[in-house]
Amino acid sequence: MKVINKNRNLITTFTKGDIFSRLSYIVMGLANIRNGQVIKGLIFLMIEVAYFMFMLLTGRHNLHMMRTLGENTQGMAYNEALGIYEVTKGDNSMLILLAGVVTLVITGLFIALWLFSIYSGERARQTRELGKRPASFLEDVKSLANENVHFLFLSVPVIGLSTFTVMPLIYMILMAFTNYDQDHQPPGNLFTWVGIKNFFTLLSTGDRLANTFWPVLGWTLIWGFAATFSCYFGGMILAMIINSKGIKYKKFWRTVFVITMAIPAFISLRVVATMLGERGILNVLLQQWGFTASALPFLSNVTWARVSVIVVNFWIGVPVTMLMVSGILMNIPAELYESAKIDGAGPVLAFLKITFPYMWFVTTPYLISNLIGNFNNFNVIYFLTAGQPLTLDYFKGAGKTDLLVTWLYKLTKDSNDYNLAATIGIIIFVISATFTLISFSRSAAMKNEEGFQ
Amino acid sequence: MGNFRKTVIGLNLKNHLKAVIVALVAFVALFLPYMNLEEGKRSVVGVALELLGGSSASKAYVFIYGTIVFTFVAAVMAVVSVFKTNEKVMKCWQVLQALATIFSGLLMFSTRTIAKASGLSNNFLNKDLSFGYWILFVGSLVTLVLVMSVTKTNVGYIALTVLGVIWLFPILWIVLTAFRAEQGYYVGYFIPKGFTFDNFINLFTNNSVLPFARWWCNTLIVALCSCVINTLIVLMTSYVLSRTRFAGRKAFMNILMIIGMFPGFMSLIAVYNILKGIGLNQSLLALIVVGAAGAAMGYHVSKGFFDTIPKAIDEAAIIDGASRLQIFLHVTLPLSKSIIVYTVLGSFLGAWSDYIFPSMLFGDKQSSYTVAVGLYWLTDFKRIDTYYTQFAAGAVIVALPIVILFVWLQRFYVEGLSGSVKG
Repeated sequence: MKVINKNRNLITTFTKGDIFSRLSYIVMGLANIRNGQVIKGLIFLMIEVAYFMFMLLTGRHNLHMMRTLGENTQGMAYNEALGIYEVTKGDNSMLILLAGVVTLVITGLFIALWLFSIYSGERARQTRELGKRPASFLEDVKSLANENVHFLFLSVPVIGLSTFTVMPLIYMILMAFTNYDQDHQPPGNLFTWVGIKNFFTLLSTGDRLANTFWPVLGWTLIWGFAATFSCYFGGMILAMIINSKGIKYKKFWRTVFVITMAIPAFISLRVVATMLGERGILNVLLQQWGFTASALPFLSNVTWARVSVIVVNFWIGVPVTMLMVSGILMNIPAELYESAKIDGAGPVLAFLKITFPYMWFVTTPYLISNLIGNFNNFNVIYFLTAGQPLTLDYFKGAGKTDLLVTWLYKLTKDSNDYNLAATIGIIIFVISATFTLISFSRSAAMKNEEGFQ
Repeated sequence: MGNFRKTVIGLNLKNHLKAVIVALVAFVALFLPYMNLEEGKRSVVGVALELLGGSSASKAYVFIYGTIVFTFVAAVMAVVSVFKTNEKVMKCWQVLQALATIFSGLLMFSTRTIAKASGLSNNFLNKDLSFGYWILFVGSLVTLVLVMSVTKTNVGYIALTVLGVIWLFPILWIVLTAFRAEQGYYVGYFIPKGFTFDNFINLFTNNSVLPFARWWCNTLIVALCSCVINTLIVLMTSYVLSRTRFAGRKAFMNILMIIGMFPGFMSLIAVYNILKGIGLNQSLLALIVVGAAGAAMGYHVSKGFFDTIPKAIDEAAIIDGASRLQIFLHVTLPLSKSIIVYTVLGSFLGAWSDYIFPSMLFGDKQSSYTVAVGLYWLTDFKRIDTYYTQFAAGAVIVALPIVILFVWLQRFYVEGLSGSVKG
C-alpha cells in the first residue's frame, strides 16, 4: 500500500511533483489550492504578496542602504529666508543598520515559510493521490491542539526570541565589523564597515587595547576556574558534613546557609561591598580585635581585590552547590560505603575512591555550564568592585578586576564604544562555545536523552 | 589506671586518655606566657589577678575570667572522668569543654580591648599573643574534638557552628544597621547604640527624595506579571521539546543553545532601540515584554523534569482520546508540582533582582526604578553616608519576602536543581 513519503526534500518534491507543485515554488500555495486546501493556499499567497510589497516599498531600500550605512553626514546649512544656520538632516547609520537587520530577519522568516508551504503543498498532493481528502482548514486549526501542538506552544517564544533576541544579536554581531565608537556617534556622525579591523586591534599585541584585552581575558579565565572549583569543593564538603550520620537538625543547618542564597544577589553583594570598604565594618572590627593596625585594602589593592571577589563568591556560591550536591549524595548506594568500611577504608579514602568519582561523573556537565556562567558572572564583579581598582595601563574605564563581560558593559554604557563591545561579545561566545563542545563530548546524559522515557 | 581499659556502653574510650592529658596541658597553659608586652610576658592568670586588683572595668574582662573558670572546671571534669567514667560525666565535660573553647577563642578577639582598658598596652596586636595562649586555645579545641569522639558526637558540629557564624555575619550586620538609630555609613562598633524603626518609616514617607514605595510597587508588578507569563512560556516550551517529536526540534534546541552562549546584555542597546521604535521605552511594560521574550531560553530544567515522566502515561491518554493540549493541562501539569514551583520561584526571583536591563532602560528616570536599580543608586559613594541605614532597611524589606518564600519552598528548589543535573 502506498503511504505518504515523508522523506521528500526540496529537489525530489520538484522532480516528482506535478505542474502545480512546481509552480508553487514561485507562486506559493498553488499546490494547496489545487489539492483542495483553498484557504491555506490563499493564506500562503497573501503572505507572499505582502512580502514582495514590503520589499518593493521599503525592504529593497533598507538592504541597499546597508551597503554603505549612509553617505550624507549631518551638517549645517544657511537658511536665507530665516537668516540662521539650520541642521540639515543626514543619514543615521544606526537606524539604517537596524532597518537592514529587520529586513534580513523578515526575509529569513519568509524563506522558512516558503519551505513550509512547499512541504505542505506536497503533502496535500500525496494525500489526494492516495485517494484521501486533505485536511480542511478547520481540521488544521484543530490539529494545533493535538499533533501540531508545537506550533501553538512555540509560536510565542519564537516570535519573542526573534524580535528581542535574534534580531538584536544579529545587529550587534554586524556592529563588530563597523567603526561605531565614541567618535562615530549617530546622528551627528556616520559610521561604516571596517571589516575585521576591530578583532585585529583587540587581539594583536602592542596596542593599548590589546594590552587591556589580554590581561582582562587572563583574569577572566583565572576567576572562572577559581570561582567554580572553590564553590564546587566547598559545597561538596559542606553537604557531606550536613548529611553525615549523627548531625541532628539537618534542615536547620541547611537553612542557615540557604539564607545567603535566598537574598537577591544585588543586595547581599552591595552589603558586603560596603562592609569591605576602607571605613567599612570589617576593617573597623579587625582593628578593634587587634588583627591589624591599619585598614586593609580589601577592594582597593589589585591582589586583595581579586582574592576578595573570589572569597565573597565562595560565600554566595557554596550554598547553591551544597543544595545540589545534597540530592546526589543520597543517591550513592550505601552498600558501597559499607563494603569499603569492611575493607578497612577510612573516611578520606572513601571520599577519594567512592564519593568524589561518583560526583565527578554525575556533575561534569553542571560544572562546565557553571564554569561558563562564571566567565560571564556580571553580578559578583559589578556589584562588588565595579571592576575597580582602576589602572592607567588599561584602556579607558577598565579595571583590574573587570571580566570581559563587565568591560563589555562599561564599553556599552559608559563610553559608547559599541564596536568594541560587540567584538568582545563575539570573543566571549567563542570561549563559551569551546567549553560547551568539550562538555558535549564528555556528557553521556546528552546522548541518552531518551533514556528515561 | 585500670579505668582506661574498661568499656562503657555508649562511649568510645579509645581517645579518653589523650583527652584528659590535653585538657590538663591546656589548664597548665593558663600559667604560661599569654601576652608579649614591652615590659615582659604575662600569663592569663597573671593578667586576670592584675585586673581584679585594678580599678578599671570593661565588659571584655568577662572573656578572660570566663576562659580561666571554664578551662579550670573542664580540667576538673577531665580528672573526675578518670575515676567515674560514665556517659553523664562525659556529656557534662563536653559542654564545659565547648564553653572553654569558645571563651578562649573569643579571648583572641578581645585581648586588644582588655590591654587597652587595663592600661597594659595601647597598641597591642594579636601577633603579640604569646605561645601560652596558642597552647591554651589549640589545646581546648583538640580536647573538645577528642571528648566528642569519646561521646560519639559528630565533630562536624564544630565546623558547622564556625561556618554558620561566618555565613550569617553580613546578614546580621545589615539587619542591625536597618534598626540603627545613629545615621551614617561609618560607625566604630558592631552593635548599634540605639534601636529605631525610623529607617523603615523614612523609606515610605520621604517620597520626594527617595520614592522607595514606588520602586517596590514597580518591582512587584513586574515580578508578578513576569512570573506568570514566563512560567507559562517555559512550561509550554519544555513540554513540547520533551514530549513531542517534530521536524526542526533538534535545530530549535541547538539555536537556543547557540544564542545562549552570547552574553545576554551584549544586544541590550539594540533591544533598547527596538523598544523605542515600538514606543515602549522607559516603561515597566518593556521589562515584562523583554523578560517574556527571552523566557524560553530557560527550558532546560523543566525539560529535564518532563523527560523523567514515563511516556506510557501519555500513550494511555492518547488511546483514551485525549489531545496533546489536554494531556498537557490535565496529565502532565498535575504531575509536575515541584517543577512548577521551581519555575515560578525562579522567574519571580529573576525579575525581582534584575539589575542590568532596568538600569539601562530607565537611566535617570527615578520614578520607574525597580528596587535593584534604586538600592544600587543609594549606595553610590555620593549618597552612601546619608542613606546607608535606609539602604539597609530597604535591603531587609526587599530580601525578607524572598527569604521566607525560599526557605518555605526549599524542597522544590532542591528537586528542581537535582533534576537539572540528572538531566
